[in-house]
Amino acid sequence: MRRISYIVGAAWEGFWRNPVMSIASTLTVSLMLLLFAFFIVTDRGLQAAVTVLESKVELVLYLEDTAKPSDILALKARIEKDPAVTRVDYVTKEQALARLREIAARKKDFDLADVDTNPLDASLEIKMASAQETSRLAASLKDEVGRGVVADLVDNPTVVEKLLTITRVLSIGGIAVLGMMLFVALFVIVNTIRIAVHGRRDEIEIMKLVGATDWFVRWPFILEGMLVGALGATVSLAIIIAGAGPVTTAMIGFLDILPVSLGPNFIAQLVLGVFGFALLVGAGGASISVRTHLAK
Amino acid sequence: MIRLDDVSKRYPNGTAALHDVDLFIEAGEFIFLVGASGAGKSTLIRLLIREELPTTGRVVVDGHDVATLRRSQVPLLRRAVGVVFQDFKLLPTKTVAENIAFALLVTGHEGHQVKEETERALALVGLTHRRGHFPRELSGGEQQRVAIARSLVNHPKILIADEPTGNLDPVTSWEIIKLLTRVNELGTTLVMATHNAEIVNALRRRVLHLDHGAVVRDEREGLYAA
Repeated sequence: MRRISYIVGAAWEGFWRNPVMSIASTLTVSLMLLLFAFFIVTDRGLQAAVTVLESKVELVLYLEDTAKPSDILALKARIEKDPAVTRVDYVTKEQALARLREIAARKKDFDLADVDTNPLDASLEIKMASAQETSRLAASLKDEVGRGVVADLVDNPTVVEKLLTITRVLSIGGIAVLGMMLFVALFVIVNTIRIAVHGRRDEIEIMKLVGATDWFVRWPFILEGMLVGALGATVSLAIIIAGAGPVTTAMIGFLDILPVSLGPNFIAQLVLGVFGFALLVGAGGASISVRTHLAK
Repeated sequence: MIRLDDVSKRYPNGTAALHDVDLFIEAGEFIFLVGASGAGKSTLIRLLIREELPTTGRVVVDGHDVATLRRSQVPLLRRAVGVVFQDFKLLPTKTVAENIAFALLVTGHEGHQVKEETERALALVGLTHRRGHFPRELSGGEQQRVAIARSLVNHPKILIADEPTGNLDPVTSWEIIKLLTRVNELGTTLVMATHNAEIVNALRRRVLHLDHGAVVRDEREGLYAA
């Protein structure tokens, strides 16, 4: 018990011995963790969006207003025969408008009250059994565009594909930026602890002389590094929690999305992830610093 | 207790600090290391506490061969060997009692033990009444007594004193020597490097004379100079 209180006390004392350096490294770690959290949230959000889009309609044929119902039904029947297709839904102009009104009702700043004509197209929504077949079917249906029935064709997998590309680019960019931040944070922690070690070099010399184990010499510094990490995590999580509400509202308002669910345990996972990462970086940086000193 | 077989020490810069030193010190002995500065006294002491490793030969301290000692075993050797320096090496931000207790705390002793051993060491060096003072409030002699108390709390079998009276006036030096003699009488092997001829000549203990890294004289009941 006495040992633990000694180590914890020494770590706490060490942190406040050089407050400017300790706070600087805490803020650097916070910044890195904010980026870390930002990438996790964005990545999870995009993945959720991809999942939602994939489960939705995969191919949409927008129909000419002048198309005859018999032609539309014939086309529908023909598409339904394709083995890669699960279902084809005919959405009339009225149904499309009703959907729009439904969305509008949920938004304060979106008023449809004075729309008296219906600008929306009727459509055929095609659900595929296998997403890989979508491009083949899309290619064959492209020929129908401009023949009096189909006005336009929207290929949803292309959207999904684009979204996946964004996710990929973000992940690679994110990892690169995060890598740089990690390097900076480690650098700052290593130096903070090096200063702490230097400040206590007499104490360390005596500890080694009287026969303290390396463990005893090392742990106060590692704990000090972890303290820097933990404080950094607390600061960044406080910023995230304070900013999460407004940012989510702004995102939904701006992108007009489908509020995607990030999963029920996401917040807990995020907090654990950020804290775990912070403690690891703090302890790692301190270990590097102390190890170099003790090896002498 | 201490055994050196054919020990040589050459530093990376080429300086030969010791060569072909053979030495055997029995448990309970009191031995003076004498010789001019640079004769190899400090190197010998550094070998005994494994701050340095011999270039050739074997150094055995309290049964530990220092060269083959695993890193994790080094603290055990250091606990068996107490060290006192000319410059005391006390921590200025800790009180007398805290400086002594520090050696117990960092070697993993529990609360009641720390308290008891600290009090016992304070009483041994006669500084119980100064327990709450900081090193800067003490005289040189008192500071050295604190350092001796700290080196003894872990009950070392060997006490090495490197010029313990180097910074002290003659009267205070004698107080420290009396204290060290008492420690030796209580069973601790004592190795003391010194330039103080008066003390060596008065005590008539074993004298090991080093010159240019070699033992030139090893005499029972010896004098400072031959």
